[in-house]
Amino acid sequence: MSTFKVVVSNIQQITPLIKQFSFIREDGASLPPFSGGSHVVVAMNINGRLHRNPYSLMGSPQAPDTYHIAVRLQEHSRGGSAYLHHEVKVGSQLEITYPNNLFALDKRARKHLLVAGGIGITPFMSQIEDLIRTKANYELHYAYRSQDHAAFTSTLKEKCDERIRVYVESEGLSIDLKALLSKQPLGTHVYVCGPNAMVVALIETARSLGWPENHIHSEQFLAPPSGEPFKVKLAKSNIEVHVPAEMSMLEAIEAAGVDAPYSCRGGACGRCELEVIRTDGVLVHQDHYLSEADKAAGKKIMPCVSRAKCHSLEINL
Amino acid sequence: MSLAFKKETFRDDYTYQNSAEAIRRFPFPFAEDTYMYSVNIEPHTKGPVGAVTEFAFDIDEHYVAECEDKAKTLALDAGRYQALPHMAEAQWDFLELTMESLSNDYPDLFSLKKDGLLWTWENKPLGIKNTFTFGDSTSFDMDPMEYMGRQVQGDFVLLDQRNGTLYADAGFITSQADWSLAFDVGMAWHEWHGPVPQVTKLGVMDRALKFLMALQLGAPVRRLNWTMTINPRLDTSPENYPLWGGDRNKVTIDNVGELVHLRVELQSLFRLPRSNAILFSIRCYLINMNELSTSARWAKRFHRVLKSLHPDLVEYKGLTKFKDLTVQWLSKKDDGAEVALGTHP
Amino acid sequence: MERGYWIRSKPVYSTLVWQQQANAHIVLVEGSAGGLAAMKLFQQMHPEHPTKVLYARNPVVQQDLSIPLSKVVPDALLMFETTEESLVAFEAHLSSACMGLRIYVAGSERFIWQVAQMADKYGIDDSDIIKELVGTLARPIYCVHCKTISYEAHTNIKKCDGCGKQLFVRDHFSRRLGAYMGLMVDAEDPGQIPSIEEIYP
Repeated sequence: MSTFKVVVSNIQQITPLIKQFSFIREDGASLPPFSGGSHVVVAMNINGRLHRNPYSLMGSPQAPDTYHIAVRLQEHSRGGSAYLHHEVKVGSQLEITYPNNLFALDKRARKHLLVAGGIGITPFMSQIEDLIRTKANYELHYAYRSQDHAAFTSTLKEKCDERIRVYVESEGLSIDLKALLSKQPLGTHVYVCGPNAMVVALIETARSLGWPENHIHSEQFLAPPSGEPFKVKLAKSNIEVHVPAEMSMLEAIEAAGVDAPYSCRGGACGRCELEVIRTDGVLVHQDHYLSEADKAAGKKIMPCVSRAKCHSLEINL
Repeated sequence: MSLAFKKETFRDDYTYQNSAEAIRRFPFPFAEDTYMYSVNIEPHTKGPVGAVTEFAFDIDEHYVAECEDKAKTLALDAGRYQALPHMAEAQWDFLELTMESLSNDYPDLFSLKKDGLLWTWENKPLGIKNTFTFGDSTSFDMDPMEYMGRQVQGDFVLLDQRNGTLYADAGFITSQADWSLAFDVGMAWHEWHGPVPQVTKLGVMDRALKFLMALQLGAPVRRLNWTMTINPRLDTSPENYPLWGGDRNKVTIDNVGELVHLRVELQSLFRLPRSNAILFSIRCYLINMNELSTSARWAKRFHRVLKSLHPDLVEYKGLTKFKDLTVQWLSKKDDGAEVALGTHP
Repeated sequence: MERGYWIRSKPVYSTLVWQQQANAHIVLVEGSAGGLAAMKLFQQMHPEHPTKVLYARNPVVQQDLSIPLSKVVPDALLMFETTEESLVAFEAHLSSACMGLRIYVAGSERFIWQVAQMADKYGIDDSDIIKELVGTLARPIYCVHCKTISYEAHTNIKKCDGCGKQLFVRDHFSRRLGAYMGLMVDAEDPGQIPSIEEIYP
């Protein structure tokens, strides 16, 4: 993974739970432009352990002099969001990857329908810049719990004008997905980012209405879930790695000094796929990448978010 | 660095030749005595000084002549450049990447000055100087991809990533090994590799696709591919097959050394920032058997590779008519002694 | 080339089957064989969503299926003399259609890809169209030399309508052009034309 060092140039409290962090390059060079929907993986050294979390880049992708990410303080943070919220200050140094896009706009779409829930608004913050600049046809539907969670609403209303609709759950408003998805012109692509229940509901509604798979786009980054500890035997490196309950398999492999491929670290991109040689238990697949058939076959695992319920797992690495 | 650009042709009287220096740096692709199709991808990192991989885009002694040949090919068939409408952004990415690379790597030859979005590009070898607005479609009297495609050696394809695959949605193709951009533009990965033999079975294409879909910004990759051509002809397109196809009948044991060329493609792939597209750059190097044989190692190795080549690859690469003669010619340079691993001369 | 070798650009067609997950359906069929394919589709069921059938009677080879079709789909059938007219009606339908419209086509390869090109203009990929090849295996051929598309290629080698070259009809297919690649068969050895055989009846 190509990375570079950044310095935190600004921190803003957006809502009681959301902070926005702005970065500039430590070496003073200009930041690479990116495409709407891109994310970076931020590396954080927390008490001697390296955490790497993906965050969507916000703001103008064209010639960014600053990168912006928004971080919601997670209730059960494994460390990443709590560290950013409580430890990182203006002037702190961090290491980030080059931007990567797993949630790109389809440039052939005749219309873009963006559906955001809560902090899921972040990838759309750069996508709308691209859509506005290219004069594309789009609508943004943004739902959140209460005014306390209303991140970026006023900015968005200003930018999107009549193209945004806001749904505040505490005021009894929610998105009627069926009504929304039934009346979209041919050639529309829908993009959803938000809580799992919302993403699943949208995908299922679109499918049941006959939307082709290629017109349905979603992004969800998963925090590596904790589980039971187990042992991983790395066949090529010929070493055994202990995966503790609160650490992901990928992190444990890295901590053991073995170079493993990765990109999003959120179960979305497929880059870290490893071949399973054998296990004396079952694989616990948590990713969005492998097909149901692949998951059932048990020959592949995405170590960034998935683990095993076993005593020992052998992989080809 | 200063390069003496040669005055030479890639058609008609075929005056193309490699200098001793160009032979020494030729990207000979065979590290072993046998060849089988593989993905063989490695990071496109800076190679040794003077190597064809020293810079992102290699400019050599053939630069001016090759650009003139491109212009001739395009004048005869404008269809060698094609871009579907949704590739506009990727075109500007391509322009930026090539302009920045060339001006940084060859400051004596090229320069780029930026004043916000107002850019000035100067190409000294070709005598081009333009001030234009980056991102403005009226900047040139042609598309930005065509503008820079004419000024960089090699062929270029822009791949759009969607539907879980890559689509060849724009290209500038004037030195291709027998494939037609006008026909293939808009095709998905497995479609445009459709005619490649033996390959889908081995799953090579599936793995390569998966790898490229995850290609990262700032981490380009490269591989070598090869075929053979009669005469130092860049435009071996299916469009002009009637012009060059018959040359395959002209090979005799007496003219193998001059007529038969090994054609190596340095293929590199770059993720592009604004469009999320991928640039597929195909840089072609030609060397005839006489020039190749100035390295005893290369002659022996190529003899063995060609002799043991799978029949499907012989047919696919179009070598059927002259392979045996070339093997016979090369056999005289092969004493059978072991050749150590590696591609060096 | 070895057995089992398949050019991946060559389309694979299926039979028309209703898609259960839908908002609406439109069925385009050509000629008598296409009419029969539509009849077979309604043997499966009458879908609950709004449905239209566009039937181009020509090229009628044996049988005009207007009457049985109008019995089976009385309120949804639009009949046309030619495929050109049915494509005009198709475009009018697409321009006001919503996502969830399922598209079905049965006919020659030429017709199938005319429909696909029209759908593409409205942002629908050909992979989302249900396609059945009926009536004829005649191939549209793109001449890679002069860029003309000739239709009705029934033989392995066909003369280009544009430049007159004898073209070898390859399996390599372009969805954008809706045609197979045609390459001059005697380019290496002028005048040497292999025997011409009907293989796309």
